[in-house]
Amino acid sequence: MFYLPILGLVALLVILFFWALRRPRLGKSAEDQAAGCEELAQRHITFLPQIRQALEPADLDFLASRGSAGLPRRVRKERRRIAFSYIAALQGDFQRLLRLARVIAVLSPEVGAVHEFERLRLSVQFACRCEMLRFRLLCRLAPLPQLSGLGHMVSAFAVRMEAAMNELGERAAMAAELAASLEGRGIDAR
Amino acid sequence: MAGLTTYEAWVWALNFTAELGLFVSMSARRHYRKFPLFYYYICLAVLQSIVLFVAYEVWGFNSPISERFGWGTQGIVLCARALVVAEICWHLLGHYSGIWMLARRILLFFALVVALYSILTAGWRWNETVLKADRGLELTIGVVIVILFLFARYYEVVAEHVVRALAIGFFLLSCFAVVNDTILQHQLKEYEFFWRLLSILAFLATMSLWFSALLRPMSSSETMPVLLPGDVYRTIAPEVNVRLRRLNEQLSKLGRGKEHRS
Repeated sequence: MFYLPILGLVALLVILFFWALRRPRLGKSAEDQAAGCEELAQRHITFLPQIRQALEPADLDFLASRGSAGLPRRVRKERRRIAFSYIAALQGDFQRLLRLARVIAVLSPEVGAVHEFERLRLSVQFACRCEMLRFRLLCRLAPLPQLSGLGHMVSAFAVRMEAAMNELGERAAMAAELAASLEGRGIDAR
Repeated sequence: MAGLTTYEAWVWALNFTAELGLFVSMSARRHYRKFPLFYYYICLAVLQSIVLFVAYEVWGFNSPISERFGWGTQGIVLCARALVVAEICWHLLGHYSGIWMLARRILLFFALVVALYSILTAGWRWNETVLKADRGLELTIGVVIVILFLFARYYEVVAEHVVRALAIGFFLLSCFAVVNDTILQHQLKEYEFFWRLLSILAFLATMSLWFSALLRPMSSSETMPVLLPGDVYRTIAPEVNVRLRRLNEQLSKLGRGKEHRS
């Protein structure tokens, strides 16, 4: 049975290869995504007060003191659902920003290995932490109000990215034009 | 041919016909312009079949000279295959100079690691060394193709259908060879006929895949992507990373904050 590790390695390679060959799922067209980057900065800022309000613990205390016994539980459940959607939305926005960074990397004549590896590491870390947060929410361990801080971080990031892109003026326009030329989702390697 | 069953001889002949057909088709359609190394590889495969046919006729299929001769030609073909994989890598990422430089370093690193592992575990007995060296090279090719496509997926670079088909073919050939060599090495010599037949069939299937891919129309013009000025990346990339790092720190604080509470 000395050959089992090699056979296992081959099986792993086959799985990885066919997974890598699959076309990534397309959320939106390239043009929508280019426009999405502009909307992105506004999106969280627009809804941040509402999200904060929805996650405010004072409301729950108020309901507990005034409403029926079942009402706070129902509201907490609703809020948890909102928190989950919020994390999903944050991840979506985060992915769009990462995609923008990746498109810029692909279309750049030089890329820094350090930057690329760091971004890969950080995005893996972000994904893991989001999952941890989800798990904690599910187990009622995570403090709901602090999620708003997370949203603020992503919004600020998006605003800075947008500002940086605007500063670059025609270069940003060129990036959007090139991003729009990426038919469907991927970059056609011809 | 002496030593081969009639059935094997027929499959072998079919294989040779497929190689020859692919070679003629590539020549007629002038695919050698776009895939020169792949063209030479097919050319070498045809030559190998002819040379092996002659060798088996002269020395017999089961003679040690034929075996060594066969492995020798296989070594040359395998090196040619490695060069074609490099060509595939270039076709997939070569137009994007930034990530291509990065990918080249990563692929070379992985290729060296797997090749070193193969050398270290090869041993120095002739009958084992050849199989292990073959397996090591095939494994290296397989790993390089997987890393290449993972890299392309990460950067959302979509491969042209021919490049995809070539990669699938080489990957399946390599995987099959690794499995074949591994099982042959471990007291399963009684199934040698079965494995020999399977490897011919695998090669035949790969040939069909390449043949059908090369029959489909290809983009005639080499459209080079318009690259951004270098300072766009230099401005945006560090900014993205700083924000990501802060976001991660914030997230980890969230986790720690709860622990303090509880």
